[in-house]
Amino acid sequence: MITVSSLTKNYGDRVAVDHLSFDVAAGRVTGFVGPNGAGKSTTMRMMVGLTRPDTGEVRYHGIAYDQLQHPTRMVGSVLDARSMHPGRTARNHLRSVAALAAIDPKRVDAVLHQVGLDTAADQRVGGFSLGMRQRLALAGALLAEPEVLLLDEPANGLDPDGIRWLRTSLTDFAARGGTVFVSSHFIGELAMFADDLVVVGGGRLLADEPVTATLARGGSTVNVRTPVAGELARLLERHEIAVELTAGGLVAHDSTTEAVSTIAFEHRIQILEIVEAARSLEEILLEMTGESAEFAAA
Amino acid sequence: MNTAPTTTSPAHLTSLTDAGVSGSTRHPVRTGRDDVRSLPAALRSEWLKTWTLRSTPTILGLSFAIGLTLTAVMAIVVENDPFDDRPFTVAELFFVSTFLSGILAVVIGVLSFTSEVQHGTLAGVVTARPARWVVVMAKAANAAVVGFGMGALAIAGGLIGSLSGGLEMGDTSGMVVDAVSGIVLTTVAAALGVGVGVVIRHSSAAVASVLVWALVVENLLRSMAPTQVARLLPFSAANGLLGTRQATDTAEMIASAFSRAQNAAIFGGYTLIALVIGTVLLSRRDVA
Repeated sequence: MITVSSLTKNYGDRVAVDHLSFDVAAGRVTGFVGPNGAGKSTTMRMMVGLTRPDTGEVRYHGIAYDQLQHPTRMVGSVLDARSMHPGRTARNHLRSVAALAAIDPKRVDAVLHQVGLDTAADQRVGGFSLGMRQRLALAGALLAEPEVLLLDEPANGLDPDGIRWLRTSLTDFAARGGTVFVSSHFIGELAMFADDLVVVGGGRLLADEPVTATLARGGSTVNVRTPVAGELARLLERHEIAVELTAGGLVAHDSTTEAVSTIAFEHRIQILEIVEAARSLEEILLEMTGESAEFAAA
Repeated sequence: MNTAPTTTSPAHLTSLTDAGVSGSTRHPVRTGRDDVRSLPAALRSEWLKTWTLRSTPTILGLSFAIGLTLTAVMAIVVENDPFDDRPFTVAELFFVSTFLSGILAVVIGVLSFTSEVQHGTLAGVVTARPARWVVVMAKAANAAVVGFGMGALAIAGGLIGSLSGGLEMGDTSGMVVDAVSGIVLTTVAAALGVGVGVVIRHSSAAVASVLVWALVVENLLRSMAPTQVARLLPFSAANGLLGTRQATDTAEMIASAFSRAQNAAIFGGYTLIALVIGTVLLSRRDVA
C-alpha cells in the first residue's frame, strides 16, 4: 500500500503539485494520468525521493522511501528509460545496479531473460532502441524482486507485441499481490488493464477511483437515423435529453436506446437505425482534464 | 566492436511475475549503521562501473604515455636543468609527470560524478542508496584507486622515458619519497575531482573550471598574492608535495615553502572540504 499525503511542490511561482493525496492499493494496477505539465513526473520523482516535496509525504507500508532499509526491495522504479551509460553493456549495467543494492548477481541473467534481452545482454546500451532501453530499465526495476513497480510511461518505444507483453506482465504482477503504479499517455491502452485511476490536472487531484467508475462518468450517446430528426429532437428536448442534429439523424447525449426508442414509439416516429455508444475513457479523461491542461493545441 | 543491436521477439519474453511478489515482507527502517554497512556494496558498484567502460584503461594508458613522453622529451631535447644548468638525471625526472597526471586525475574524478548526472544514472544510484554520503564516499574512494593507478603508471612511464633518453640515474636516495609523493598527489587529486564534480555537476563547466583554475587562475594568484598566501593555494600545494620548483618561484617562495607533509595536508584539506560541501549539496538538492 502506498499512501500519498498532501504532496506539494512549487518551482518558483509555478505550482507543479498541489496538495495531492491518494492511496495506491496492493494487488491492483493503478494508472496515473493527466495532461502534459499536470505534475505526474514530479509526483513520481517525489515518490522515490529524487525530488523533495515542499510539504506532504509518501509512505510505503507506513515508511517513507528514504527510510526504507532496502528501498529497491520495496520499489522498483523506471522514471526515465534513457538513464543508462551508452558505453556499458546491458549485462554490466545491471551488474552495477545489483552490486549497489546488494542483490545476488545471479538475478541479472534472470531479469534479462524476463524482459527478453538475453541475446542483447552483451551489447552496449548506446546501440539500443528506446524499446530495448525500456525493457532494460524494467529489468533493473525487477532486480530486487520488489513489491511495488513505479513506472513512468513504460510503453514509450515498445512495439505492439512489447506493449501487449507489458500489459500482461503488469496485470500478472498485480494478480500476485504486487502494486503497480503506472503513468501513461496511452489512455486507451491503460483502460485495458488498469484497475484504478488517479487523474491529475494542474497538479491537483481530479479523480481517484476504479476505472469502472470513471467510465460510468461518461454516460453514453445514442445515434439515431430517422427521416424526421427535427421532430424527434423537439420531443427528446422536452424530456430534458440533450440533442445534436446530424446528417440523416441526431445524437442524443447521456441517454439510452431504451429511453429514445420509447419516446419515438409513443409518437409514432419512424426510426431507421438506433445505436448506443459508451464514451471512451480517453474522451472522458480529456474532458476531465481539459480545463487544467497546461499545453494544448490551439 | 559494437555490433548492431539484436531485436527481441515476443517468443523470448516471459512474465515479470517470474520474480514473484511478496506482499507480506516486513520492511525495517534504515539506520545509520545500515548506511555504513552499505559502503562495500556501493564501492563494488563503483568498481564495476569503472572497469566496464573502455575509458578507464585508456586513461591509465594515457597517464603512462604522458610520463614516458614527457621525460623522454626532457631527456633528449631539454637535457639540462634550467635552474643550475646541470644535466638531468633519472632521479630528478622520473616523477615530474605526476603533476600533469594529477590534473588529469582531477578531471577523471570530476567526470566520474558528472557523467552520472549527464546520463541520468544518478537517479538510479540515489534511489538505491538514499544515504547520499555513501554515494559520494564510494565514488571518492573508487576515484582515488584509479588516481593511484594513474600515479603509479605515470612514474613507471617516467622511469622508462628517462632511462630510454639516456640519462644517468643520479642521486637515488630520494626516489622512493618522490614516487610516493607523486602517487599521493594523483590519488588525492582524483578524490578532489569527485568533490568538484558533485559541487558543479555539469561536466563541461566542472572540467573547464578545474583546468582554468589550475593552469591560469592559480598562476596569476601566485604572482600577485603574498607568498604566505600563495603557498596555500591547492595546486601550489600539489607542486610542493612533489618538491618541484617552478620557473616563477622567487627566493622568498622557496625559503617559505612548506614541507611535503604539510603540502599533502593542505591538498588533502581542499579535497576534504570539496567532498563535504559536495555531500551537503547532494543531500539538499533534487536529483535530475
